[in-house]
Amino acid sequence: MKNDKKQKNRHVYWNPYFGGFIFGILILFTFYLTGRGLGASGAMKSSVVSIVETVAPTHAQNNAYYSKFIEKDKSPLDTWLVFEALGVLIGGFISGGLSGRIGWRIQHSPKITSKRRLAFALGGGVLFGLGAQIARGCTSGAALSGMAVLSTGGFITMLAIFGSAYAFAYFFRKNWI
Amino acid sequence: MVKKKIAKVLAFRYKLLAAILILLAGGLVLLPKYQKHEGIKPEELLSNVISPERYITTDQVAHKLINRDPSFILIDVRDEKSYANYSLPNAINIPLKKLLEEDSRSYLNQNQFDVILFSNDHFYADQAWILCNRLGFKNIRVLKGGINNWFKTIINPLKPSENMPAEAFDLYTTRKAASMYFGVVYPEQANVAGSETKIEAPKRVITVQKKKKKPAEGGC
Amino acid sequence: MGPLIPNGVIPIEWDSIIAILIGIVFGFVLEASGFSSSRKLAGVFYGYDFAVLKVFFTAAVVSLIGLYYMDYLGYLDITQLYVHPLYLWGAIIGGIIMGAGFVAGGFCPGTSLCAVAIGKIDAFVYVGGIMVGVFIFSELFPILEPIYDGYFYGNITLQDSLGINPYWAVFIFSIIAIVAFVISDIVRKKQKKIFY
Repeated sequence: MKNDKKQKNRHVYWNPYFGGFIFGILILFTFYLTGRGLGASGAMKSSVVSIVETVAPTHAQNNAYYSKFIEKDKSPLDTWLVFEALGVLIGGFISGGLSGRIGWRIQHSPKITSKRRLAFALGGGVLFGLGAQIARGCTSGAALSGMAVLSTGGFITMLAIFGSAYAFAYFFRKNWI
Repeated sequence: MVKKKIAKVLAFRYKLLAAILILLAGGLVLLPKYQKHEGIKPEELLSNVISPERYITTDQVAHKLINRDPSFILIDVRDEKSYANYSLPNAINIPLKKLLEEDSRSYLNQNQFDVILFSNDHFYADQAWILCNRLGFKNIRVLKGGINNWFKTIINPLKPSENMPAEAFDLYTTRKAASMYFGVVYPEQANVAGSETKIEAPKRVITVQKKKKKPAEGGC
Repeated sequence: MGPLIPNGVIPIEWDSIIAILIGIVFGFVLEASGFSSSRKLAGVFYGYDFAVLKVFFTAAVVSLIGLYYMDYLGYLDITQLYVHPLYLWGAIIGGIIMGAGFVAGGFCPGTSLCAVAIGKIDAFVYVGGIMVGVFIFSELFPILEPIYDGYFYGNITLQDSLGINPYWAVFIFSIIAIVAFVISDIVRKKQKKIFY
């Protein structure tokens, strides 16, 4: 048991309350500096917009959704959230590097194959991307940053995400347990 | 055995943290409520009130007008009727009652121009000044003595008597020149200038850019 | 008085630099709390690991209390902060789809970026999936627009929609969070331990 624990050492994470506390202070600080909360899916939206704009500029101009984010003389990637997402990558890399968690691998339950895991990851990503656009934000942008200012929209989004995740959890149990 | 002890210590720690959290959250509920000040602090306002900087003399305004200084706007806080009757050149009319409306704010709350408020004397202009200052608007001053003083000093300057110092005479000459600029005809040169004395100060179009206030935008 | 950048205390040119710095801390905290592991994230839905719930609620409570204290002490004007707007059905339908995506893929966008940073291949695929999702949404935008733009209630807070004093709302929310922590610990003890 003890040996096993040592081997699993790289899976020892921060105490969740400590992590949450630092996270809360970070949100506070973000609001104090910039007047808005954190976000993540916005960066991916910006990358999609810029990809579509380079591949098919006229299509991007004609589409009602892309054209919202296209400005003249300014790349769609030049937004706050893209810089923040870059920071997330750097920060994650630093933390992972410090505790030796960096390495190419596919993490999945021993009961399923890697292929199945990747297929579900893709499907989950598509759903999340779609949902995040409909709700105008993901767990960090809408739910967490919204809750920090008592936004009704943030609370409803949070309840909807976790409610439906619990409801669907039964169907995906084989993937995780 | 040891494990249980650790668990106990940990549990106690969490209980303590939970208690602190409840105390902090409860503190918010129990804190005495107060009316939030919109704008600057009372002490700051007081020091602004005392400062002589808030007044501008009629001479200075005349000087600015003659030089067509682009860096200021004149605001007439009297009602529309008096404004239509007579006002200073290029003044904008914002009656005291409408001072806090959205349209007026774009003139008052900006960093582009200095604002000079005036009324018949400086009584109403002072009220307007205090309101604006309270809201934290910058670069606002009051014309000392208002339009009455304007007439007394610029339009119809008092001729100094013989025994007054030389500065008074200098002042008189400048004021006289200014008044001529603003269209007053003096008898000794009426025959020289003839009809040309009715030169109106050129109308100036004042466009105020809205104060840049970047609203915080979306997260995700 | 904050917020500093919208009020011009810090010049706007610093915006991007601050964004990167904030992002670095964000990524570090997420990764160090174990959010780069999809199995740890999914644990909250099966009762074997409640890290997500704990971190999430602690962060929300800490930032809420902090923001209101800063507002009270006059360091921050809470009315100037960005409030996530409420598009009622957009939030509900979008939330339901996101929930399904969350439990299927095991990440949310922020955590998937963290996992990408430490080389999880499933996270790369997930991020690719999100981009495909955004692409599908944009292509279907004319159909989805009524949901996206409809049922708009403005940038409202609980104070507006429930008529509740915000300080009481914070207090009640803190109590709910603590109760949730206690319940989650009880549930976890009953669950079979899973090593991952």
